[in-house]
Amino acid sequence: MSEEQTETYLYKLEAVLEEGRLLTVVVLANSDERAFSAAENNILRHTVAPPHIKELSLVEKKPIGRQGVGYVIETSHF
Amino acid sequence: MAERKQWKWADDPSLNKMELTKLEKDGLDVIETIVNTYSKEGFQSIESSDMDRFKWAGVYQQRPKDGHFMMRVRIPGGLLNSEQARVLAKIAEDYGRDLVDVTTRQAVQFHWLTVESLADIFDRLAAVGLSSFEACGDCPRTIMGNPLAGIDPHEVLDTRPLVAELEKFFLLNREFSNLPRKYKMSISANIHNAAHAQINDLAFTPAKKTIAGEEVIGFHVWVGGGLSAKPYLAKKLDVFCRPEEVVKVAEGVTTLFRDYGYRQKRTHARLKFLVADWGAEKFKEELVKLVGELEPQGEDLLQGWNGGYFYGIHEQKQKGLYYAGLSVPVGRMDASELVELARLADEYGDGTIGTCNTQNVLIRNIPKDKIAAFQAEPLIVNRFKLQPNTFVGYAVSCTGTEYCNLAIVETKERMRALALYLDETVELDTPLRIHMIGCPNSCGQRQIGDIGLQGALVKTPSGMVEAFDIHVGGTLEEPQFNRKLNARITVDKLGPFLAQLITLYKADRLEGEPYWRYVERVGLERIQEQVDSILQTA
Repeated sequence: MSEEQTETYLYKLEAVLEEGRLLTVVVLANSDERAFSAAENNILRHTVAPPHIKELSLVEKKPIGRQGVGYVIETSHF
Repeated sequence: MAERKQWKWADDPSLNKMELTKLEKDGLDVIETIVNTYSKEGFQSIESSDMDRFKWAGVYQQRPKDGHFMMRVRIPGGLLNSEQARVLAKIAEDYGRDLVDVTTRQAVQFHWLTVESLADIFDRLAAVGLSSFEACGDCPRTIMGNPLAGIDPHEVLDTRPLVAELEKFFLLNREFSNLPRKYKMSISANIHNAAHAQINDLAFTPAKKTIAGEEVIGFHVWVGGGLSAKPYLAKKLDVFCRPEEVVKVAEGVTTLFRDYGYRQKRTHARLKFLVADWGAEKFKEELVKLVGELEPQGEDLLQGWNGGYFYGIHEQKQKGLYYAGLSVPVGRMDASELVELARLADEYGDGTIGTCNTQNVLIRNIPKDKIAAFQAEPLIVNRFKLQPNTFVGYAVSCTGTEYCNLAIVETKERMRALALYLDETVELDTPLRIHMIGCPNSCGQRQIGDIGLQGALVKTPSGMVEAFDIHVGGTLEEPQFNRKLNARITVDKLGPFLAQLITLYKADRLEGEPYWRYVERVGLERIQEQVDSILQTA
């Protein structure tokens, strides 16, 4: 799991915050560990008060070899 | 290199990058380059633009990308002879670190191959009538079928000649080597849908019709099925296809996909997208324009779904002869076991081995007086059991992080261990199909499992922990994909969690009620309540 990859991937992660809020985070990284770390940093940047992340999970990764690689994130209406 | 084909879509400015690559050099041309250049000059000599084309040779880079390859070998209709099996075993032994996997499309898969070995492997396969060509890539893949074809008491005709015709027509056929995306066919006349018709791009299932006073046994035709991240059940066309029309219809459907399939986005290129847009009626109209009039549907001869499982000793349609359905846990064996299987096929049967889409195998044509000795063979007693325990027997798994670049978690060994644990923990006499996958691409066909487990990585104070999302209620009996529950279970808790969930089902089910039907009866909310209750006490 900790093996260094030779490729860079676009990662999709899911975060459950203490108050029940769900966030989907997409980051570019060249290892699973770095994807987690980058996701945490992005969540920190996204929130004013430091969030309490109850659960952070990596659910998908796609190689960035081709242009246009991405994810569709389903969200509810506000 | 063969003369380049001038495809009608060649000037379309909206083609995706891979399409442009395919126009520059046909995928099949890479075979010659591998044989004449790369296998002699080594991994470093491989041009990056050719790496994607390796798939047309049936070869992918495995994880980590350090110069080793995975290869799939086509086993048309899931039938191979003992000589072929021995050649496959020797390839695994010489080049593949002794590893043989049976896949969910009845193919055989090797790992750890180097590019230097490929030319020799191609030769060895060809010498016994096998091929890895077009087992991957944007082309017609391994043609799935009924591994009992010709001996099956539950088939309405022998599909072996039709599989052979389809294979002969499509394999290395440059008219169809540049499709918009992968393309999967199945043909089976087994009335229990042995070849999983609804999850193939093109499928033929048994049907009959009275035409001009004569009862004709033939096929119904399904198009557009597929799993992966966007699963879709195939649509049945209003068509009755005589056996002699199968190749013509397959050519027509494949031509429609080739010429009208979408080539702008690879994520929107499989036949299912065209079928979803056109609908079955228009698809039929376009098909008829290509192949001529076809009879409308007749009587459907499908009766439910056997899941692709054939365990035990069963009498064939030939009286006095039997077949033996054997369990290969998660489809993995070593070379010596395959050699031993070949010996058993020769000694007790007619030398034929069947590969099943459940990652299992079978042996055909065993005379009655040899059954007792066959059952006592060490390979059958100790490894490839005739009556495996419930969970080991119905466990399916993709390759996982061991070799796959897209997987997030380890699956193969984990599924094997999980099934063993469940067999030790829960006594259940009803088959319960658990499919485990390591990423959303679903090579382990998660969506059709009674329970589908999809991998994720969870961050914990002690580091990353592998976990699985739980999906329930998948089947092709009354076709529906399983649905996700609100539960992400870390691997340390997965076994006990599933044991409790299954125990609740066992207590609550009606007699003989399979898990998918139970889920349908009690509803997803009830299953979620069960999950919540288990998690509260965990």
